[in-house]
Amino acid sequence: MSNGPGELTVKDVQHSYGTGKIKVPVLYDINVHIDNREFVALCGTSGSGKSTLLSLMAGLTRPDAGQIHINGEEISRYNENELCLFRRRCMGFVFQSFNLLPNLTALENVELPLIFAGESVKRRRQRAADMLAMVGLDGRTGHKPNELSGGQQQRVSIARALVNNPSIVLADEPTGNLDSVTEKEILQLMRQMNREHGTTFVIVTHDTEVANQSDRVIHLQDGRVVQKDTTMIHAT
Amino acid sequence: MKLLDSLRIVWRNLWRMKLRTILTSVGVMIGTAAIVAMISLSLGLRENAVKSLENFGNLTEMDVQPAYMSPDGQTPIPPEQMKKLNYQAVQELKQIEGIESVIPVKSLQGGAQIKLGRREGDIQLMGIDVHESRSSKSDEIEKGTYLTGSANEIVVTYEMPRMMRDVEKERREARKRNASGAGSDPMMQGGYPPYGMEGGGSDAATVDMVGKTATLVINRQFMVDNEPKFEKKEIRVRVVGQLAKSDGMSRFGGNMAFVPLEMINELNKWLNPEGMNQGFDPYGGMQPQQKRTRSRTEQEEVIFDSITVKVGSREQVEPTLERVQRIGFEIYSPARALKEINQFFFVVQLILGGIAAISLLVASIGIINTMIMSILERTREIGIMKVIGATVYNIRWLFLIESGFIGLIGGISGLGLAWGAVQLLNYVARSNPEFSNVLGGGGPGGPEGIQQLAVVPLWLAGFAVGFAFLIGILAGIFPAFRASRLSPLQAIRSE
Ligand SMILES: Nc1ncnc2c1ncn2[C@@H]1O[C@H](COP(=O)(O)OP(=O)(O)OP(=O)(O)O)[C@@H](O)[C@H]1O
Ligand SMILES: [Mg+2]
Repeated sequence: MSNGPGELTVKDVQHSYGTGKIKVPVLYDINVHIDNREFVALCGTSGSGKSTLLSLMAGLTRPDAGQIHINGEEISRYNENELCLFRRRCMGFVFQSFNLLPNLTALENVELPLIFAGESVKRRRQRAADMLAMVGLDGRTGHKPNELSGGQQQRVSIARALVNNPSIVLADEPTGNLDSVTEKEILQLMRQMNREHGTTFVIVTHDTEVANQSDRVIHLQDGRVVQKDTTMIHAT
Repeated sequence: MKLLDSLRIVWRNLWRMKLRTILTSVGVMIGTAAIVAMISLSLGLRENAVKSLENFGNLTEMDVQPAYMSPDGQTPIPPEQMKKLNYQAVQELKQIEGIESVIPVKSLQGGAQIKLGRREGDIQLMGIDVHESRSSKSDEIEKGTYLTGSANEIVVTYEMPRMMRDVEKERREARKRNASGAGSDPMMQGGYPPYGMEGGGSDAATVDMVGKTATLVINRQFMVDNEPKFEKKEIRVRVVGQLAKSDGMSRFGGNMAFVPLEMINELNKWLNPEGMNQGFDPYGGMQPQQKRTRSRTEQEEVIFDSITVKVGSREQVEPTLERVQRIGFEIYSPARALKEINQFFFVVQLILGGIAAISLLVASIGIINTMIMSILERTREIGIMKVIGATVYNIRWLFLIESGFIGLIGGISGLGLAWGAVQLLNYVARSNPEFSNVLGGGGPGGPEGIQQLAVVPLWLAGFAVGFAFLIGILAGIFPAFRASRLSPLQAIRSE
C-alpha cells in the first residue's frame, strides 16, 4: 500500500488509552483514505475519538495497531525523532486553542518552524511576513498573542501551519473558540489555502457549517467510522 | 537549527525568568568564586615562597656535585665509582634534556694579586667556560662587556674596585710609622715611583677598572733541596667588564674575578708542575681528589671546582634535577626546595579545590532543580514546539544550552567576585607589611615585601569559567532528556 504527496491513508488502526490492565479502547479498526488536495471534515459526537484519530495522523502518538501512511511514508513506524522531522517536512497543525507561544510576536511565532528547520534569518523573516500577509495580518506582525483577537490568533496559527509549505494540514476544531462570524472567515481562509496551495486539509469539527464547506465528511461514532447521509446532519 | 538561533531562544527563556536564573547562578557563582579565590591564594603564596627562595640565588642555575649516595638515597656510592667534575662530566651533563648550558668553573690553585696603577688587591681567579656561560652571565654585567672569548680578559665583581688598596698611601703611612720608630715592614720591597699628590682619607674613592689594562701577579713556591724557592709571574689582562651588584648572598667572595678557563688551566699547570711538588700542596690536602688524580698517570685531567648547569625555566628545575641524579650527580641548590614547595602547595590546592568543588556540586543540584521546574512550567510550550517541527535533539540542545548558560553566568560572575576579592586582599597585603609577613614574606626579600598575595592567572580564569559552564551542561543532561522525551500530545493537553 502506497500513496502519493498529500494523500493520507489510515489502515486498520486501533487505539486505546491507559497503560497496564486498565486500557480504555478509543478507536476500533479505523480505515480512512484522504486524497491529495481534499478538504475533509472529521465529525462526531464528543468523545467519539476525533482528536485521538487526528493525533495519530499527526504522529503525536502511535497507534496500538494498524498503519498510517502520509505522502507515501508509513509514519506509524517512525520513532519520536523521525516523527518530529516528518512534521517539520510535510505537516502543519492548527489547534483549537491556537497554542501560540505567548512571549513571541506573531511574526516570531510564524518563524519558529523555519528556525527549527535551520532556515536563514533573512529568508525566514520574508517567508513569515508573506504568510502573515496572506492570512490578512500584515499590520500585526509585531504583536504578541495576547494583543490579538481570537480570530487573529487563529490566523497566525494557520500562517504558522503553512509556513513550511506542508502537503497536509491537520486542524483540531480550529473554529471551536471563535464566534460564528470569525468562524466563517477562518473557514474561508482555510479553503482558500486549500485551493491556492493544493494543501490537503483534515479538520475536526462538530460544526455543521464546517462540514457543509468541506469536500467530504468522515463520521466517527464510538471509535468507529460510520457512513452517514449528509442530509441527516442537516436534519439534526 | 542554527546555533545563533538557539542561543537567542535560550537567552529569551533565561531573561523571562530573570530572578530564578540569577538565584540559581548565584550558587555557581559562589562555588566558582571559592575555587578561584582559594586556588589563586595558594598560587600566590607559592609564588611568594618561590620568590623568597630566589633570594638565595637564581633558581635556574644549579651547582652540580658528584653524588655520594645512589639516587634511591640508601646505598652509598663507593669512592672509586663516584663521578668527577671533569670534562667528561661536562659532556654528560650537556646531553641531559632541559639543560641549556653547562658552566664549569675552576679556580686558581693559589693566590693572586691584581695591580692597576697605584692600587692593588688580592684576587680570587675563577676560570669559567666563556662560551657556555655567556648567555647567563652577560645579564649580570653592569659595566663593559662579558668575556668575549679572547685570551687575557677579566671580569671583576662589583665590589672589586672598592677592595683595591692604595698601595702608595699605605706605604706612605708605613713610612710615617717607620719614622716614629715602629720598625721595618717586611712587605716593603720598594721599586714604586713615589706619587705625592694623593690626599689622605680617600679610602672610599674607587677606581673605574673597566676598559683598563691590569696586571695579575701570581707567585709560586717550590722546594729545591728542601729550600723554598719563590717565582713570580705577571700577566697583562684587560678588564672588560664589571658584574652588577648581586643582592643575594653571593657564593663567592667580593674579590672574585672571572677569567677564561684556559688561562686558569695554564696557570694551574704552572703553579703545580707535575712531579715538582709531590710533597707540597698549597691547600694542605684540602682537595684529596686532585691529589689522587695527579698521582695517577692521567696528568692532563682537570677537575673543576664546580659545574653550574642552567635550565631554561623554573618548571624544568625538577625534572632536570631528577635526570642529573640518574647519571650519578647531585645538585645542591635552593631549587631543591622547589620540589617540596610545589608538593606542599599541590596538596593545599587539592584540599581547597575539593572544598570549593563541593559547593559547586551543591550549585549543580540547584541547576538541576531549576531546570526541572522550568520543564514543568514549559511542558505545553515544549509540546507545541515538537508539533510545529522541533526535533527531540532540538529540545535537548535548547535545555542543555540553557542550563550551561546558567553555569556560565555563575562562572563569569564568580570569577569577577573572586577577582575583586583577590584585588582587595592584595591591596590589604600591600598596605600592611606586617600582614604580608605573617603570610609568607619572611624570606630575605625583606623590605620589598609582597606585591601580590594572590594571583589569578589567565589559565585559572579560563578554567573556572569553562568548568562552571561544564557543570551547567552536566546538570542539564537529565532535565534535557526529560524535556525531549515529553509526549507532544500529553504536553499540549497539560495546562
Ligand atoms: N489522555 C487520555 N487518557 C485517557 N483517556 C483519554 C485520553 N484522551 C482521550 N481519552 C478518552 O478517549 C475518548 C476520545 O477522546 P477524544 O479527545 O478523541 O474525543 P473527541 O472526539 O475529540 O471529543 P471532543 O469533541 O469533546 O473533543 C474519550 O472517551 C476520552 O475520555
Ligand atoms: Mg477533541
